[in-house]
Amino acid sequence: MNNKLHIIGNAHLDPIWLWRWQEGCGEVLQTFRCAVDRIKQYKGFVFTCSSASYYKWVEEIDPELFEEIRKLVKKGKWVPVNGWWVQPDCNMPSAESFARQALYSQLYYYEKFGKICKTGYNVDSFGHNAMLPQLLNNGGMRCYVMMRPGMHENPEIPENLFWWDSADGSRVLTYRIPYSYCVNGKNDIDRELPLLKERAENTGHGMMFFFGVGNHGGGPTKGDMDYILELMDNGYEELEYSSPDDYFEEMCADRLDLPVWNDELQHHASGCYSATSMVKQLNRKAEYWLANAEKWNTVSAKISNLPKATEEFGKAWKEVCFNQFHDIFCGCSIMEAYDDVRDSMGYAMKIAANEENKAMLKIAGMVDTWLDGVSDSQSLNARHHCRNLKFPRPIIVFNPNSFEVETPVRTYHPSKKVEDSNGNSVIFQNVRSSRSNDSHLDTVFFAKVPALGYATYWLWHADSEYIGEYKAKSDVSANELTIENKYLKAVFDGETGGIKSLVTKADGVEYVGGEFCIPTVVDNTEPDTWAHNIFKFDKVIGKMSLKSIELVENGAARAVIRVKHTYGGSYLTQDFILAAESRHLRVKCKVLWQEALTILKMPVTVDGENPVSTYEIPAGFIKRPCNGEEEPALTWGDITAGADSRKGVALISDAKYSYDCPGNTLRLTMLRNSIFADHYSDRPAADFNYCDEGLHRFEYAIYPHAGEAETSGIQKLSAQFNSRLVAIPAGYHKGELPREKSFISISKPNIRLDAFKFCEDGSGDVMMRLCETDGRAVRAAIVCDIADAGFYADFRKFEVKTFRIDSEGYVKETDYLEGIVED
Amino acid sequence: MIKPYKLKPHLCRFCTFYKTGDSKIPAELLTFKNEKPSLEGFPYPLPSKKSDYTCFAKTGDIEWYGASNGLTRYDKNAEREEDIVMYFSAPRDLLDNNIKAIMPDGDNVWVLTETGAAYIEMKLIGAEEKADILLDETLRVVSRRGMVSQKQLKEARNLDSAVPYGHSDNDGSFTSGYAMGEIFRYATFKREKGADHPDTLKAKVIATNAVEANLLLLHIHSRGNGFAARTYLCADEPVPDDGLFFRITDGKATCLETTDSIKKGVNGVVIDASAEVPARLAKLYTDLGYTINDIVYKADTSSDEITHHFLHMLYAYELLACDDPELGELIKISAVGLMNHIIDHGYELHDFTGKPTSWAKWSTRYFNTEFGWVDGALNSAQLLMYLLVTMRITGEQGKWREHYDHLVNDLGYADMTEKHFDRLYQASLSGEFIFVEDIMYGDHMLAVLAFTGLCTLEKDEKLLAKYRKGFKAWRTSLEREHNPGYDLPYAISCPDDEIDFERLAEWFYRTNASRLAAGVSLEGRHDVPVKNMKLGGKEISILLPPDERFISKYDRNPLDYKNEDSGGVTVVESCYVYTFAYWFGRYYGFFE
Repeated sequence: MNNKLHIIGNAHLDPIWLWRWQEGCGEVLQTFRCAVDRIKQYKGFVFTCSSASYYKWVEEIDPELFEEIRKLVKKGKWVPVNGWWVQPDCNMPSAESFARQALYSQLYYYEKFGKICKTGYNVDSFGHNAMLPQLLNNGGMRCYVMMRPGMHENPEIPENLFWWDSADGSRVLTYRIPYSYCVNGKNDIDRELPLLKERAENTGHGMMFFFGVGNHGGGPTKGDMDYILELMDNGYEELEYSSPDDYFEEMCADRLDLPVWNDELQHHASGCYSATSMVKQLNRKAEYWLANAEKWNTVSAKISNLPKATEEFGKAWKEVCFNQFHDIFCGCSIMEAYDDVRDSMGYAMKIAANEENKAMLKIAGMVDTWLDGVSDSQSLNARHHCRNLKFPRPIIVFNPNSFEVETPVRTYHPSKKVEDSNGNSVIFQNVRSSRSNDSHLDTVFFAKVPALGYATYWLWHADSEYIGEYKAKSDVSANELTIENKYLKAVFDGETGGIKSLVTKADGVEYVGGEFCIPTVVDNTEPDTWAHNIFKFDKVIGKMSLKSIELVENGAARAVIRVKHTYGGSYLTQDFILAAESRHLRVKCKVLWQEALTILKMPVTVDGENPVSTYEIPAGFIKRPCNGEEEPALTWGDITAGADSRKGVALISDAKYSYDCPGNTLRLTMLRNSIFADHYSDRPAADFNYCDEGLHRFEYAIYPHAGEAETSGIQKLSAQFNSRLVAIPAGYHKGELPREKSFISISKPNIRLDAFKFCEDGSGDVMMRLCETDGRAVRAAIVCDIADAGFYADFRKFEVKTFRIDSEGYVKETDYLEGIVED
Repeated sequence: MIKPYKLKPHLCRFCTFYKTGDSKIPAELLTFKNEKPSLEGFPYPLPSKKSDYTCFAKTGDIEWYGASNGLTRYDKNAEREEDIVMYFSAPRDLLDNNIKAIMPDGDNVWVLTETGAAYIEMKLIGAEEKADILLDETLRVVSRRGMVSQKQLKEARNLDSAVPYGHSDNDGSFTSGYAMGEIFRYATFKREKGADHPDTLKAKVIATNAVEANLLLLHIHSRGNGFAARTYLCADEPVPDDGLFFRITDGKATCLETTDSIKKGVNGVVIDASAEVPARLAKLYTDLGYTINDIVYKADTSSDEITHHFLHMLYAYELLACDDPELGELIKISAVGLMNHIIDHGYELHDFTGKPTSWAKWSTRYFNTEFGWVDGALNSAQLLMYLLVTMRITGEQGKWREHYDHLVNDLGYADMTEKHFDRLYQASLSGEFIFVEDIMYGDHMLAVLAFTGLCTLEKDEKLLAKYRKGFKAWRTSLEREHNPGYDLPYAISCPDDEIDFERLAEWFYRTNASRLAAGVSLEGRHDVPVKNMKLGGKEISILLPPDERFISKYDRNPLDYKNEDSGGVTVVESCYVYTFAYWFGRYYGFFE
């Protein structure tokens, strides 16, 4: 029996929490300096530290110290762990974000230290999604250290050391810290060491003892080091300076039959997935924008002389990765820190915007949009680009998704007629613009755009006399309280403003089985910002009152019913939009929230037996019991019920990450107005600032469907809801590209393109990351002519695969590290 | 209730080869001019780089594209997705890959390459018909006194040039697998056509011969202690320098000089060989004019052999011996002898040295070693299966039950059967290899046989649940192969799990109708991603249809990028990979 206690000297460093990043950065420098000193002073001592971003700070600000650390890493005295940029929240980042966390960090470690991190290490993160084993494995890590939830929060998860499996078949050897990741001081050491010793004896395997001042940094103090030496000399012979890497290596050499866990690791801080909506919305937007912009940069650079922007995207992603740090993304840092977060995310998104714009304009400029006669002499009025009355204006619509999308898009001028590039009229509608200028009208028209491609549409200006009136045929109709198309009919309740009937017309199935879209206010007085020790938000204190309901649009492309609710000094305006031939309702929300210590939830209810809630998680989905506990999710949540013929309603969001599901009701948590960084609700009297106070603009969608969520097409719908088509006004020019083109073909609908980028090594090789979304194994054919590539790929359920395509189009399967490390 | 899947007749490749200068090559092929294909916007991945294609031909709706690294067949109307684009490469389908011309000949094509020509026919073949063709080839070319592994050819691709000898380390395993297939074939015919039908009677003869060949390996050494020989040779067969061989002379056996015997210091050792070989089994060599004094047998037998022997004896006893009591008795004494040997030697197979052979150890002392700890999950299942099979065959519980209960209750063997994935994964972490990629593929069949025996024989619900869990622990690696020889036994053992019959159908459809071990060209394939393995070497990233990947028995990585072990154009392997899977499936009602 090996009952050794591995002493892990570390310093948990929150770069932002109850301080801003500048202070966190300073603390990293001081802590690293101290750690180097401790290593020099104490023979055998090993220091463990995570987070590539910290090392990068030290490298930039104190290169001499960094050089010392490099030497210590080489000697095994300093052990970098967790090949990620920070210790992020492990529920809300997208699968691609986890890929980028590993990509930029492990390559950084590889470049600076000649090796990558073998151990994942998120000791303070508040919960861990069920696909994390795969996300760690793909980044080169096969062992994992975590702590939350603790045994008091979830006693079902195995203690100490266990195998953790994700549904794709990946596995990490996981150590669950039983007590603390930052023990310091004689009293704490005296309390924890005997407990760990007992565990080692009971389990028959070694344990890790994490010591060192943490959170604000610090690390092992001389006092603690001296005391541990004293203990070693006085009966604690089983103590040994070590690192997580060494600990796992030793455990693997032992013959251990360990328990297996194949679920997520939840819950610790259930309020973290809704607190501080701003950071959530910024993250969602940045993740999608960056991924999409990089796809377009890759396409454009492959077909034109546009420079590759890999380095720029790296800079942007590192900002996003940094802001995924658990205390930032979870909304539990101080108010001032979020000013910094806004700036940082703004920087990232500006890069996305710049690169996307350059790429799209470059491609648009290559499309043949020339119309004979367009260069003939005309009056200035007729030639103004936006008002060329004699010719239709070309608009090139780009689709970043890896599947064809047909959906309405908006341009900023009214039209008389819209045609596709084959001369077919398409459904359009002139709708009220956001401006109070000129026509006050924009055009919404239906664009059908191929996978990762573009299509050109032709918009005749509303003032043109060169084209006759066109009345598009449409399936949309509406009256004051009803909107419908050929698939859906929604009837609103004039008393509550909720939806009282939602029917799929083909089969006549009613989806409203109770409370449906009546905004509900929940008490949030007791929970702190994290909601420590509280797992349900179920104290309903009221419903928002209906102030008005009106039909604001009823055209060929869409009908819109605007519902306005109020509560106290707050209001919520929802535009329920049903587009032609759409199977979902899109809801555009504007909230002005001023209610302290409250939560706003949006419920939908489906009747029937055996309700099951399903949620998107990174690289997959998960089914959870409908027990009313607050749950993290990515872009969608779903409630499905029914004995024989199952039916469900999914809620898709472009900014939110939190739901609960008491019984048959799924509730999207729209905002959660806690005090900033309110730890265990210790609240002296003060004029507090609230993390969700103010104006919020976001959208969600309501998607009724037959059968279970995973077979409903929800994954595609949520992807296109978050990855919108982009319409670019183009000029008239000759070009080598056709008016419609796709740059990729993926033969299976359950394979999603998450990344299309250039390899980080500057070789010019193209990287393609694909993910199975429906939970079923499949073989897909991928054809990408601009990379001269066409290949097959086998996917296990929920499997993420990364492929590297060389200049000849030959393909190598790699992982997040792009084959750079393995070579 | 199993719903049978209908395996339809399917296109199968038949290639005939002519070297440059052969008068059978049509003269017009030599001057045939093809157009270059236009492949812009081609909707599927192509095996060759688009710019490498130089010639194009059509046979009906089928298009053929020739490139510098092989031939592509395109059938846009193919019913099955994997048949839309097919790849033909050297040396299996072509003499070399540099296509110079493609000349249609009805539905077939002549393909001119650098070094000659190939005539390629695509014939519709039923799944059973393919099994018959393969069986005929095995009986004609591969069989060596009933043992079937592989045969060397003197002349490339010429099946008539097979050398008369050729042994394998695993003759017992491979022949057992083959025998099981033939037993199921016989039982299927008996059920479907009746016991007296000529096809049934013929199948019975073939199956019986295969079983006898196997049983002989359990007696040929004449040690009289239940040992099992790996294989045996007769007087006119050369003794290879590969392992430990004993020549029997007048009741004694002498260890022959080989590198191994010298290394182990046993060269010239003489041991007892006085036990009689049962006469019915001895006829396999005496009918050919040999006596026991003409026999050289191979020792140091592994658990592979023993596991195959036991399950094969179970099926032989259940399905064949019911019509042949004498055979039943032979099976019984063979099983008892082998089982007693293992029990008497502390759950190990002991060789003449009094020590266990290299790879036949099921004891706790082995499981407590570093390597044995990982092996324990599989080997514990094997030993438990042996005992259940022995109980079944002998119809007795007694001693066998005592040992079974001891293993289960006192030594934790049933619990250990569940630990395969966990222990191997742990070993992979310390060994820094990637599980499930860098694995021992030869263990797959062993696991399938051990757990199939356990799951079909054990009636205790708790133990059955453990064995099913144990079988499922192998699923992750078994699934990589989509091999019906594994998946169908799994399906009867763990009926609650779904099996992808479309993938299995692809395997039957796309297995060639010959076991000539000619390889394929994967290095130039443009449509198949390649993956670097942690322990070195490369693997293809997708499982190709059997006719486009390297040939193997139930023992190799089907994702091999290079395969030095396939034997190439001068080796023919036995049919059992196909016939075992097909007849097992037919017998259990998986296929119409």
